[in-house]
Amino acid sequence: MRHPAIVTAVAASLSAWLASGVSAQTPIDYPHKVVTLVTHSSPGGGSDVFLREMAKHLPKYIKATFVIENVQGGSGARAVSRLATAPADGSVFYATTPTYIYTSLLSKTQHGYKDVEPLVNFFTDSEVIYTRTDGPYKTLKDVIDKAQTSRGRWGAANPASLERQAAEQLKKAANVTPAVVSHEGGGDLMINVLNGTLDIGIGEIPELRPQLEAGKIRLLATFDAKRMEAFPNVPTVKESGYAIALDKFRGLAGPKGMPPAITKIWDEAVPKILADPDYQKVYRTESLVANFIPHDRYQGFVQNFGTVTEAFLRENGVLK
Amino acid sequence: MHSLGIAFDLLFGSPIILFSIVGLIWGIIGGSLPGISASITMALLLPFTYGMAPVQAIVMLACTYIGAEYGGSIPAILIRTPGTNSAAATVIDGYEMKKQGRAGEALGISLWSGVIGSLFGLLMLIMLTEPLSWVALAFRPTSYFALGILGLSVIASMTNGSLLKGLAAAVVGLMISTIGTDPISGVTRFTFGSPELLGGVEPVLIMIGIFAVSELMMQSGSRDIGGLREQVKVRLPSLSMMNRLKRSQFIGCLLGTFEGLTPGGGGSIAAFLSYNEAKRWSKEPEKFGKGSEEGVAAPETANNTVASTALIPLLSFGIPSSNSTAVLLGGLLIHGLLPGPRLFEQNADVVVGLYLGSFIATLAQIVVGILLLPVCVWLVNRPRAYLAGFILALILSGIYTLNTSLADLGIALGMGLVGYLMRRAGYPFLPLILGVVLGHMVESSYRRSLLLSGGDHSIFLEDPIAIGLLLASAVFVTLSLVREFRDARNAKLKDAHA
Amino acid sequence: MTERTAAKDLAGGLVVLAIAILYYLGIGDIAESSLADDVGAGGLPRILAFVLAGFGVVLVARAIIEGALTRVPKQAVTVAQSGDNDPIAPLPRALGFLGFGAAYVVLVPIIGYLPAIALLIGAVALFEGAATNWKTSLIAVGGAVGYWAIFVRLLGVRQPPGWFF
Repeated sequence: MRHPAIVTAVAASLSAWLASGVSAQTPIDYPHKVVTLVTHSSPGGGSDVFLREMAKHLPKYIKATFVIENVQGGSGARAVSRLATAPADGSVFYATTPTYIYTSLLSKTQHGYKDVEPLVNFFTDSEVIYTRTDGPYKTLKDVIDKAQTSRGRWGAANPASLERQAAEQLKKAANVTPAVVSHEGGGDLMINVLNGTLDIGIGEIPELRPQLEAGKIRLLATFDAKRMEAFPNVPTVKESGYAIALDKFRGLAGPKGMPPAITKIWDEAVPKILADPDYQKVYRTESLVANFIPHDRYQGFVQNFGTVTEAFLRENGVLK
Repeated sequence: MHSLGIAFDLLFGSPIILFSIVGLIWGIIGGSLPGISASITMALLLPFTYGMAPVQAIVMLACTYIGAEYGGSIPAILIRTPGTNSAAATVIDGYEMKKQGRAGEALGISLWSGVIGSLFGLLMLIMLTEPLSWVALAFRPTSYFALGILGLSVIASMTNGSLLKGLAAAVVGLMISTIGTDPISGVTRFTFGSPELLGGVEPVLIMIGIFAVSELMMQSGSRDIGGLREQVKVRLPSLSMMNRLKRSQFIGCLLGTFEGLTPGGGGSIAAFLSYNEAKRWSKEPEKFGKGSEEGVAAPETANNTVASTALIPLLSFGIPSSNSTAVLLGGLLIHGLLPGPRLFEQNADVVVGLYLGSFIATLAQIVVGILLLPVCVWLVNRPRAYLAGFILALILSGIYTLNTSLADLGIALGMGLVGYLMRRAGYPFLPLILGVVLGHMVESSYRRSLLLSGGDHSIFLEDPIAIGLLLASAVFVTLSLVREFRDARNAKLKDAHA
Repeated sequence: MTERTAAKDLAGGLVVLAIAILYYLGIGDIAESSLADDVGAGGLPRILAFVLAGFGVVLVARAIIEGALTRVPKQAVTVAQSGDNDPIAPLPRALGFLGFGAAYVVLVPIIGYLPAIALLIGAVALFEGAATNWKTSLIAVGGAVGYWAIFVRLLGVRQPPGWFF
């Protein structure tokens, strides 16, 4: 066998094709031939990969072609502007993450998160507390205990982020005062956890995966509301006695005032896409948790997220 | 000899050569366009790699990186505009050589040094990736602070005679680096509510503004500068020249490897550091700044070394140490390849293919570099009036591709004015650029260190890497100052004699 | 040290001082956050402002002293000539050149990339002394189409869209 990898790939795509043939159903008609999905991340970045994978599977359920448009810069503000000024007819959407809420809150953007309409939610990213395997901590309690007796050293990936917020909430809930150190992204943070500079880090599974598989990193708890499917032995923070759960959501938003006919199509199609076995295989390896939130509930969800975040930022003086 | 088998299979079983050469050509062209950095060149290629096999995509991206590092030196030498950030140090002596009618020689030295640097870097990559992956791990915030200080200490020797002005310029650079989101608390600083400034001012805008735009402004109205009268042909260095360049290339290789291994360093710092060191250790330091061959060789060796050694932390830890490797990481992830120790077990074909492709590109660099040069030279040979229009148009179009933001164009033009005024008032601007590049790292790692220790400065003395780097910077600054004062005294003595 | 360079140094020193003061005023806008460390978001900026102000004062003082010294007749002071024969465009001319770039930034969202870049190339070429003839306009239009082909068609980078194009 000269090309085992290629043969496997061909076989995989063949079986995928067969599987999709079996479960084939007629896609729902859509008023637009081409739908643009806008993201603030660069080609290859988090939201971009999320959209590109999704765009591959969407046409099976919605009869349209999906193209990705990268509107980078301004920490997402420009992408939100692009969306807010687009026609509200279901031809343009934006991949939402907590980033756009933080950006709207932290700067005087022309268009904020309140100027666009959340469509539906797809996923929640699992946020976890992790430590190095050869370190002294076996459970979250060990970490809290250490923070009570001496100076705890905790790390978050970015300064104004959901992870930082989670760390501060945990501090408050456990009534400890460790140093919470922000970093330049998840990779930077992970090194400082691995080399023992920090007790724990708060991050996402995909950026940890290489070291996790190599057995260098131990997961102590997850901020998910339920235990993670891929790591059933890792307890939730809630189970450990601190009532904190995070929703790092990933979904779509559209311009304000989208017709109900459009939102209804998405409400119908998204649960089917999430149940697609091929797509499941892809997103499960990324540790994305399917978390479908329909249009009518999603708006309240995002507004609530914004209110909570704003309160947090004000309370800590980040916002005046 | 499993990997040898894979190598043969890749070489003859799939068109890996094709992908590495295409990547190389694309890299040289992209790198030679001012405003289009190595990372942008690679990012622009990224969408095209979606349909390729993983090994093809990764090889193409890595070879683009190699090509861009050489390509960046072409406009640096010919029109005093670095095509990539890491070619900024090449401008100093490369452009001097061009003014002396030795552009072809400078390009030949750049090409030859690029090959040496790539080969050395590749050797390091193959040898060090697996065993030496701990280097990145040993770097703590204290070490990063010391690394930043080492970078800043270069300023002392970059002020050509006006230390005070140089230091003032460096402080202004540090001030620019504080714009954006605070690295520790997340509050905004000096953004004036603009979302465009949340992420800070990108150093590339400042470099393009200060180097390229201000140069065009200085040249405005002059008739004959810009176009090359002579036919530029790459002149590869003779054997005796190769021998003379050895020392500076060795320095470039060492510093390039060091910077490639340490995240946050990157090609431009390595290039400046090795320029400085090559000058210090040179037998003819007085030629630096006046068209020294070694002054071209050192930074060009260093930045090509970085292009390979930056892959070490990337492949072994998944840590991108520069923008370019961040793009490469994106390429790996798109194809479902996870960097880390297991990459070498599970995707040996990609790793071996990467080594092989980089090797081919390194050797092909000489031929491709020579063949592509006429295209670039033809561009520079156009009448100055047209050239000025085309360069400004290229800068403005190129910057827009960064973030598709008109505000970025405004920043670059504004920095052009700053650079023009600095030139007129006799302020050196390299310190300003170093301040911008390093300010963030120095500030954030200093504050991180103190957070970890609870405000106790002795934490810096607990980290052997930090101690070593800080000592090195102290030696550095002392030597530079001693030389500065000696030069000043000698000048005075000369005056007295005259 | 000539009177001319002394004046220039004085102006440079004053500008440095002005930057330090303006920057210091900007520090007031930085929010005090309880998420911050002991150094704080304003810590480094405050130090930088003071250091730069110090440099500015010294630069101004030195320029004034040296300016005064040069008026005193002195025996043959030889100024080390830098071998630099770089072209130096006067300020109005340099600003004029920069003006074309600024005009492009203003124009491009209105008339679109292709015409704006053609105008930019043509205008700068004329400003820099190209002949006012059909050749210049042809080169400008050809160059614009070339750039459009490279950036928009080949690389697929969206250049600013205008109202017309």
